[in-house]
Amino acid sequence: MSSEQQKTVDLTTLSAQQLADVKSQLEQELEHLSQSFQKLRAAQSKFKECIGTIVKTFQGENKGKSILVPLTSSLYVPGVIEDVETVMVDIGTGYYIEKKPKDAIAFYENKVSTLQKNLVDLETIVNGKMGNLRMVEEILRQKVMSSAPNVA
Amino acid sequence: MADAATQSAYEKLTEEFRNTQSDLSSFIEARQKLESQLQENKIVQKEFSILDDHSKIYKLIGPVLIPQDKGEAVMNVDKRLEFIESEIKRIEGQINDTRAKSDKKRAELISFQAQLQEKARS
Repeated sequence: MSSEQQKTVDLTTLSAQQLADVKSQLEQELEHLSQSFQKLRAAQSKFKECIGTIVKTFQGENKGKSILVPLTSSLYVPGVIEDVETVMVDIGTGYYIEKKPKDAIAFYENKVSTLQKNLVDLETIVNGKMGNLRMVEEILRQKVMSSAPNVA
Repeated sequence: MADAATQSAYEKLTEEFRNTQSDLSSFIEARQKLESQLQENKIVQKEFSILDDHSKIYKLIGPVLIPQDKGEAVMNVDKRLEFIESEIKRIEGQINDTRAKSDKKRAELISFQAQLQEKARS
């Protein structure tokens, strides 16, 4: 990426080899960006799940009800919901904060909307890159076609 | 034909160029890691700033959650941010140095190649 300075280059002046290089670089960037996109999506749905869980579980009527607490994904122990007023939220870097369910929901909703904004931004970038890639491919095709008769 | 001396000089130059390239990519990787740590810590800092004084803060140490004083936690995160920022500055200096070095090596390589071709032709 270091060699690609922010200069405008007329794509038609590049050789087929250079175009192929540009194309593979664009493809790599696209790959990376769409991976990030998927990761953001996954994170967003995780936070949404948190909101759903709080809404469903932390209601006054659920106080005193018994639940099964997952210790691992396949091992459960019985428990009782004693407190529907506080939840513990992981805010990152190992810090956890006790919050009211209402505040925790606001916290997660904030996260979801931030991620949504990032997703939209990322999508514009991906679309731009895809346009670039299409253009490079088109010019490359023209190059190859116009040079083919000479070779034959 | 290139003689053995120029051949080995050429190989040495290529090797050096490759080394600076791999240094560069490892520095860039470190820079990216620091950036994600910076973002995470900033989020925590922001979260602390909107916290009221009586909310309980815990820190996960190994498998246990330790209750923490808010002032102490805030101080910790601030300190960590400071550290990460200075690290980023340091790494960026290294990236710039290495990039300059690698560009120089690349230029050397190209002129060497040109020389070799010149020799081969004559």
